Amino acid sequence: MTTLTSLARAQAVATGMAQPVCTRRHVHLSDRPLVLVPLALAGEANAPLAALVGDDPQAGRLLVVSQPRNRDRRFAFAADLARIVVSYVEGYYSSVQTVPGGRGQEDRIRFADAPQLLVPNPACIGFVRMLGRSTRFRRPSGEYAVDPAVPVLGRWLSYFAERAEHPGSCLLLAATDAVALHWASGQSSVEDLNLATLMGWIDPPAGMTGAAAAAAGEDPVTWPPAGPATDPTFDNEVLAQLIAACDRPDDDARARQRAEAALQAALMTQVAPTWRLIWRAIGLLRGLPEASRVAARWDADKDSFTSYADWLRDDGPPQARRDAAVAAARRLSWLERSQASYAAQRALDDPLVMAEYRLAGEAFAGTVTAAEPGRLDSSGRRRKLRPLITVVTEDSLRMDAGATLVSPSRPSQQARVVSMAVVPPPPGPAAAAGQGSAGLVSAPPLRRTEVVLELSGGMGRALWAEPGSVPEPGERLCYTTLTDSYQPASSFPDREHTPWTHGGPPPEYVPADEDASEAWS
Amino acid sequence: MNDIDAQLGRIRGDVPPLAHNARSIAALTSNPGCARRAIMDAAGIDKPRLASYIGFPAPFGQSQFAITRGNAFEAQVKANGCAELLRLLREQLGLPIPEVSYDDLEEVGGQRSQLVRHTRTRSLLTRAVRAGGDAGTLFDHPLLRLEVGGRPVYLEPDLIAFQLGGRFHVVEIKSFAVIDGQADGDKVAAAAIQSAVYVLAMRDLLAELGTGPEAVADEVVLVCPENFSNRPVATLLDVRKQLTVLRRQLSRLARIDSLVGLQPPGLTFDLELDQAGAPHRAAAELADDVHAVPARYAPECLASCEMCFFCRDEASGLTAALGRAVADDLGAVHSVQMALGLADGTITPADDQAEAAALLREAARLRRECLGATA
Amino acid sequence: MLQRRIDELRTEVRRAAVDRDRARVRALRAELRTTEQAWEESLARLDEEQPASGSATTSHAPASMPSAGDGAAAVVDGAAAARGGGSLLPLREQVHQALTLLAAPAAPKLVSAVHEAFFTGLIPSVRLTSLRRDEERSFRSAPFARPYYVCAALTAELLAPARGVLAVSTWPLDRRVIGPLSPRVNYLSAAIRVAESYLRIPGPGPAAQRLLWRLAANIPGASGGARNMDPARVARAAQAELQIHAAGDLAARTAAAARARRQLDDPEQLFGSRLQLTRQAAAGSE
Repeated sequence: MTTLTSLARAQAVATGMAQPVCTRRHVHLSDRPLVLVPLALAGEANAPLAALVGDDPQAGRLLVVSQPRNRDRRFAFAADLARIVVSYVEGYYSSVQTVPGGRGQEDRIRFADAPQLLVPNPACIGFVRMLGRSTRFRRPSGEYAVDPAVPVLGRWLSYFAERAEHPGSCLLLAATDAVALHWASGQSSVEDLNLATLMGWIDPPAGMTGAAAAAAGEDPVTWPPAGPATDPTFDNEVLAQLIAACDRPDDDARARQRAEAALQAALMTQVAPTWRLIWRAIGLLRGLPEASRVAARWDADKDSFTSYADWLRDDGPPQARRDAAVAAARRLSWLERSQASYAAQRALDDPLVMAEYRLAGEAFAGTVTAAEPGRLDSSGRRRKLRPLITVVTEDSLRMDAGATLVSPSRPSQQARVVSMAVVPPPPGPAAAAGQGSAGLVSAPPLRRTEVVLELSGGMGRALWAEPGSVPEPGERLCYTTLTDSYQPASSFPDREHTPWTHGGPPPEYVPADEDASEAWS
Repeated sequence: MNDIDAQLGRIRGDVPPLAHNARSIAALTSNPGCARRAIMDAAGIDKPRLASYIGFPAPFGQSQFAITRGNAFEAQVKANGCAELLRLLREQLGLPIPEVSYDDLEEVGGQRSQLVRHTRTRSLLTRAVRAGGDAGTLFDHPLLRLEVGGRPVYLEPDLIAFQLGGRFHVVEIKSFAVIDGQADGDKVAAAAIQSAVYVLAMRDLLAELGTGPEAVADEVVLVCPENFSNRPVATLLDVRKQLTVLRRQLSRLARIDSLVGLQPPGLTFDLELDQAGAPHRAAAELADDVHAVPARYAPECLASCEMCFFCRDEASGLTAALGRAVADDLGAVHSVQMALGLADGTITPADDQAEAAALLREAARLRRECLGATA
Repeated sequence: MLQRRIDELRTEVRRAAVDRDRARVRALRAELRTTEQAWEESLARLDEEQPASGSATTSHAPASMPSAGDGAAAVVDGAAAARGGGSLLPLREQVHQALTLLAAPAAPKLVSAVHEAFFTGLIPSVRLTSLRRDEERSFRSAPFARPYYVCAALTAELLAPARGVLAVSTWPLDRRVIGPLSPRVNYLSAAIRVAESYLRIPGPGPAAQRLLWRLAANIPGASGGARNMDPARVARAAQAELQIHAAGDLAARTAAAARARRQLDDPEQLFGSRLQLTRQAAAGSE
């Protein structure tokens, strides 16, 4: 399912500029996302070093741990970060909306919008997960007390990191993932994990090709790595001295302040460029029209957010350390199915994504050449409206007669394949139509197939079709075997498939004393 | 010195070969089809230095924080007669309580020469094999030796534990964390293959004593910090697969003479260092010689070989530079230009390319249709 | 402007590091250090001329963004607060105190931990790395001039100074040799001595608790669960394992001590012998 995107990469190489692989934006973008650029100290499991965080491109707050190995300093950092993140998240508690219950179900309430966290790359999602893990079991009282906001931060971060594994969820996004979904660069997907080079391909400075901007983006001295890892030469030549200076047992408060300020300034140079890149990426993505199904997926995110907020409010315990084995296996199959349905939705929303399925024969686009909108099927007890249409396509097909198709332009209507037949091309110089200019070497004329479809549904209740509900001759449209199997927003996820953040793992998890006192060294 | 050594020496120039270690030997397994790398590694070329000199400095470096942390963790695990390690070995391998004997092989009375250390390591391990349970449990910083490309390479595992029952276990101490029973997959894989190198070296040593390979366990003890603390936790790693891969790759390396024979005579990567260690070789000419040896660049090289930027630059315009999956999608065609030519019909496909070309043409048509004429 | 020069130097030294140009890296590092030092001094002078200001200054931060979170910086430096009054004793005496309590050769970290647990003042273990060398120099220049020396322990096989281990010169030679079982034996006896001190000394503080706890964790049967620590139990468990190794260890040490008395002169008996290859052949046949 990647031939077109691979071709797009080849085109990017040839032109020196990234090429679009989508015509719509398939991720939700909040009006007010919270951007987080974290840095961690090398060699440790999760030793936060700094974070630049904020929901306003002009006003990021830099938090720094001047003694990264000092436990108290780490928890102070976590408390500061907690205040920012938790207040941002809880800001969404203030407005709610009613969701109509639909068939036989009651109306329910959920938050009108949900928070959205943006980090530079997937490794930073890992950082969020680890930071959540290392803080969510802490307690505000007792022997190893921490600021009460810290465990709340931990639970939220763990929640966001878990949601990030759900295909189609947008509560926590990695900028590289979001951007690479929509554009093909002229480098490999491994290199696309570098936000500076990826953005270089897509949005180079004036006068530079994408390729040249990407090459410049690889220099860690001018474009620091997006994190959480720092550049080793920065660590060895700059950071080590500054941290040592903060470590000195100086009784001179002002010397200490100077040392901390110097450290903060240096760390700012390592996060500010990435911060600016993320906001630029957000701007680029906003420039794409939003795909139709984004809103429904965001509704599901809102449902999930509401559920988790309820769980927290009811004092639900923090997420357990591991899934039970059975739950993990079920979860894996659920994730696979979600991935497939997310891909199908993007195709139904976006002709360029659908094109990949056309290439594989699971979809075709064509023109209606004939239609019988009034045809009735009298074979059963009751007469039913079953129009026939004939569509001619140049795409290759891999469907059988009897297959059920749907068209993105008429999602509630089904089309059953009655027959398919190859037809000769119309005579004349238009024989090589679709190939562009004449004189191309050995371009065989495209094979044309005539497909007869029987339509049902989406036409109203009567025995005649409502205007516009049946395709007319001359209309160009697309049919596919893909279905939008996404669960409608009005129903909760099936309890069985509920991720453990909501249902709790079997058996019931009881947070232990040892979790609160777990070392974070 | 045999003929191949002489040839490799000419390629390297008048400098001693770069010392291999377990990590660099393990790295040999990652791109077996690359002649450039095979020759450079066999000759012991200082690749980072070479890459810098011809204008493509390698992106690798190690943060001193990581190094410090690694050393500190290792020191902690081994402190006080390996007190923490003993606990883990007793719990994990059932090491009997009386087995606590500790031998430090790092320095031999102030002498750190490799030959001396290796000789002492051999004698102690020999005694351990012959005498059984009474003759040693923990051997710290032993110096092993392995034949790589026909030359002996000295290797230093963190530790070897000798368990009653007559089997040696390699112990590797790493400072990446195991969180809730899970660790970074790539790091574990790297540790596994490095440990396999030590297992091979141990088996070779014991083979000289007439002892079979089963005397060295296939399972390596990996010691890591647990969760976010400094408390160590031990995991048993089965490295049989890695051993197979390594043996195959090392035997390939042993057949380096045929590969070297294919190269232009007079080929050399010599930097022509003077007495002060400053290079005098014309960089452009050196680059030409590097170009003369074929490489096989793939994006995976960026994580494992210091020549990666040079080879990537050389491979620009080739589909391989975009990664294997993309290259396959493009019909396994060599160059981007050719793939695009097949896609827009300006190049006639060869017979075996007809199907791929048809797919590419179709893909191009679909993109044009969806994006308009500008596509 | 010094600040700009510092930024330039940082960039240059990092590039030189990537290029693996060691000479240039060294030179640039040196220049960077002196420039940073000059900058620090000029800032310090400026600060002195002004009345004390409140929160951390952000005058060096890039102008484009309000920055510097103050939370982490405002936390009281826990480490400084914990440092109690310093000891008035010289380092060598502090080490002597700790080793005497342990009554067996020990690594610098253990020596520091014992001192912190049971005596006043802290010994940062980094200061111990050169102590043995200094003591040897002092001994060689005036043998036996002082009542005791902090010396080495000798490896049984080669009679070389055991790496990372300190001992006291007034101990009998067989306590100052390390056989293959000795590291474990010394660890167990250290645990016993620490447990006994813990019981004997009134009001043992958290450092002593931590030390005993860490020692007990690696002795089978010594710890009774996460929160339960019973010094008597620790001592009993350590003693139980010690019995298993004691005889073998004693035999090895006794034999090694006898060899040392025969083959080594006074400084070598305290600080170990620097091995010649010939002697290695003789020792290896033991």
